[in-house]
Parts: sequence; C-alpha cells; structure tokens
Amino acid sequence: MQNGTPIIRVEHVYKAWGAFTALNDVSISFNEGEVVCIIGPSGSGKSTLLRTINRLERQNAGRIVVDGIELDDDLKHIDAVRTEVGMVFQSFNLFSHMTVLDNITLAPRRVRKWSADKARQVALELLERVGLSAHAQKYPSQLSGGQQQRVAIARALAMQPKIMLFDEPTSALDPEMVNEVLLVMRDLAESGMTMLIVTHEMGFAREVADRVIFFDHGCIVEESSDPQQFFSNPTHPRAQAFLKQIKHAA
Amino acid sequence: MGARRLVEDMIHKLKDRDSLILVGSVMGLGLILWLMALPLATLPAPIGPAAAQFSAGALTTIELTLWASVFGLVLGILAALGKRSHIPPARWVADLYVWVIRGTPLLLQILFFFLAVPAIAPQLQLSEFWTAVIALSLNVGAYNAEVIRAGINAVPTGQVEAARSLGLSLVYTFWDIVLPQAVRISLPPLANNMVALLKDSSLAYAIGVVELSMVSSRVQAESFQPVPVFMTVAAIYLLLTTTFTQFAAALERKLAVGKR
Repeated sequence: MQNGTPIIRVEHVYKAWGAFTALNDVSISFNEGEVVCIIGPSGSGKSTLLRTINRLERQNAGRIVVDGIELDDDLKHIDAVRTEVGMVFQSFNLFSHMTVLDNITLAPRRVRKWSADKARQVALELLERVGLSAHAQKYPSQLSGGQQQRVAIARALAMQPKIMLFDEPTSALDPEMVNEVLLVMRDLAESGMTMLIVTHEMGFAREVADRVIFFDHGCIVEESSDPQQFFSNPTHPRAQAFLKQIKHAA
Repeated sequence: MGARRLVEDMIHKLKDRDSLILVGSVMGLGLILWLMALPLATLPAPIGPAAAQFSAGALTTIELTLWASVFGLVLGILAALGKRSHIPPARWVADLYVWVIRGTPLLLQILFFFLAVPAIAPQLQLSEFWTAVIALSLNVGAYNAEVIRAGINAVPTGQVEAARSLGLSLVYTFWDIVLPQAVRISLPPLANNMVALLKDSSLAYAIGVVELSMVSSRVQAESFQPVPVFMTVAAIYLLLTTTFTQFAAALERKLAVGKR
C-alpha cells in the first residue's frame, strides 16, 4: 500500500510544553489505506503526534495537511478535519450519561445532520460489526473495558471517517480483553481503512502494520516499511534497546 | 375492571417509584396550594378565619420561589460559564457578580433593588413582587454559579475531547455532553439552594410582598396569638420544603441512571 497518495502530511512540526519538547521538527506523511503503527517509550511524542493530527493539540510550529485541508487556526478547517478523522482513546471516553446507541448516533445526527432513523440504522450495523448488538440500550458503566472500547470504535466509525487514529487503545484493558479489541482493529485494517496506531502490542504491530515508526525524544528515529525486518532486526540503538526491554518484560 | 387496567397501565408507563414521586410531588404541590384553605378553615380562630390569607400567602411564596429558581438557574449557568471563560472581561464580570452577591446580606440586596435602584433610574421601578423576584434570582444565581462550575469541572475532560474529536462544535459539546452531566452532579446542592431560596423568599416581606411570613405577621398582629399562628406557618413551610426535597431526591435518583 506504499504507492498511495499522501492523505496526511506533517511538515516540520514542533510542539513543546514549557521546557519539555514533545515533538521536535517532525516531518512525515501517511498514505491512503496505509496502516501505520507508532511505537516508542512513553513521553516520546507518539500520542502528541496523533493528537496534533486532529488538533486536540495545537502545534507550536510547522504545517499539517489532512485530506487537503490545512490545519491552521480556522475553526472551520479544524471541524472539517475532525469529521474526517476518527479517534479512539486509551480510556474509551464514552459519554457516560448516554446509552451505547446514543453514544454512536449523537455525532452523525448533529454533525452529518442524518435523520434519527438513518443514524440508528448505521449504529446498529456497526454494533453488529463489533459484536455488541445485544448491548445497544446499555450504559457504558454496564459494559466491560473491552466492550466499551469496541463501542468507542463503533462511535468513531459512525462518522464514516477516512482516517482512524488509535491512541494506545488496549493499554487500559485487562489482558483477556485486549484480543477482542485487536480483532476489531484487524478487521478494520483489512477493510482498507487508513489507520495510525500508537501501541505497545508488538505482536499486533508486526502482523498488521504496513509501516512501523519508532519515536524517541520527540523525533522519529527509525521508520520501516518491513515490520518483520524491523522487529527482528532494528537498526537504531535506541530501538534495539526498547525492543529488547519489551521482550524481556513479555 | 377497565379502570383498574388503566391505572395499572399508567403505573407501568411511569415505570418506577421515582417517577411516581416526581409526578406526585408536583401534583401534591398544586393540591396543597389549591386546597390548603379548606382544612385550615375548619380550625378555630385565629387560623380558621384567616385560612384564605394563609393560602394566598403560600401561593405567593411558591411563585416567588419558582420564578427565582428558573432565573437563578439560567444566571447560575451563565455565571459559571463566565467564570470558566477564556475571555478576561467575562471572567471579571462573573467573579464580581458572585463576590458582591455572596458577600452582602440578601435583605440589603432586596432593599437595594426596591429603594436604591429606582432612585438611580426611576424607569426601573417594578412592582414589589417582581423586585423581589429579581433580587432573589440574582442571589440564588450567585450560589448556583459555584455549584454548577464545580459540576462542569467534574465532567471528565476525556469526554469533551471525544466529543470534539467527533467534530461536535463547542456549543453541541456543551449542550449534549457537559451540561447534562454537570447538572446531574450539581443536582443535590442545587436542590439545597432552592430549598434555602424558598425560606429566604420570606425576606420579600421587608418590601411589602404579601407572602407567607407577611401573612403570619399580620394575622398575629390582629389576633395577639403568636403560638398557633407561627406554628401553622412553620407547618406550611415544612410541607412545602418537604415536597421540594422529595421532588429533588427522586429526580436525582432517576437521573443517576448510567452514571458511574
């Protein structure tokens, strides 16, 4: 999938909080249909990169273009990008006062201006797809972590985004629930969705990724279009040390 | 048989005890105000002959409370938003409002709106009743502001980020996600403020609004029998506040669905 057209372009992006530099002159582009896994130690800037792509964080310098839309301070541009980019968070962030169905139908009704019927129909199809048809009328607090995260994926997909961002989607889950979420993501990857995934699930990354990016201290230090090669034989010393650590832990 | 089915059906539709309490307390309040004069009229003097006065006074007390509650809730939301605003002047106005109102006595505020405001701007002269409503609204609004601000702060920021990431505008995010949860969280202290308001409405007495306390004072002055008069009025206040607290408690339980 490497020969697609770039759907996201990140050019010389810089982001800092006080003395802490989260992104240090990062430039990279992502192609349509590509599945990219972003790995690296915590605090290395992985999540920040994801969050600048839909403007949950504003970059201090540099340029980001998503699907031809320039992400500047224009609210219209920001909202336009957000309707095209779905995001899944580590802590699910479901709306706790709404049922599963309402969680999913809210944005399509408000933003895409769909009728209640259409939104409901799409939501039920998505719930079927993530295996939660029986839970449409439940509240988030009545679901397990894995189920909540699958609802969160369905909620993001209901907006019919062109790009999906996953910010450590399985890090807050009990081990036995990780797989159900990864299965949904794998299914999504196979459907041709453009996906950027910040993850610590190396097995998943190795299997699903078209490209792997390794972050350290706000910079991309290694990038590989051959995940098998990267995971068995990383070139950068920092990546070597990181993967070694992870293998030891596992 | 048919009537029983109908009642059962209605109960089923109301689903649970809390809905019954909600509907019951609203209807109860209406009934109390509508029919209170009847049992009171059967009591011996000085209560019986003044039954209609007590009933009218209670109605005025409730009217003051409900108007001021509605305006006070709106003011509270606006002031809470002002306090959280990124625009400095909005923050200053909200802070000044809450600071002045909470730092001065309600009685003084009522007198100020009745006597001082018309002295500054005669065209702002309103009736005693609406002057009292405005003063009470501003007062309870300042207390509500703090309560609602705390409620807004308690809504997880992750939910706001999720809403924004879905493309929901700031207005929809506030209306659909933040406000409903903030109100739920704020409900017990808001109800507290409303019960305090019901009692504080007695201060409207100072500018001649004929509410429950004014009635008690008048009837006492005519009869020279403070004990039965003030006991009766205390009982009416208790009945009203109890109805309010029951309503608030049922509402809180009903809205708690889905909350963590």
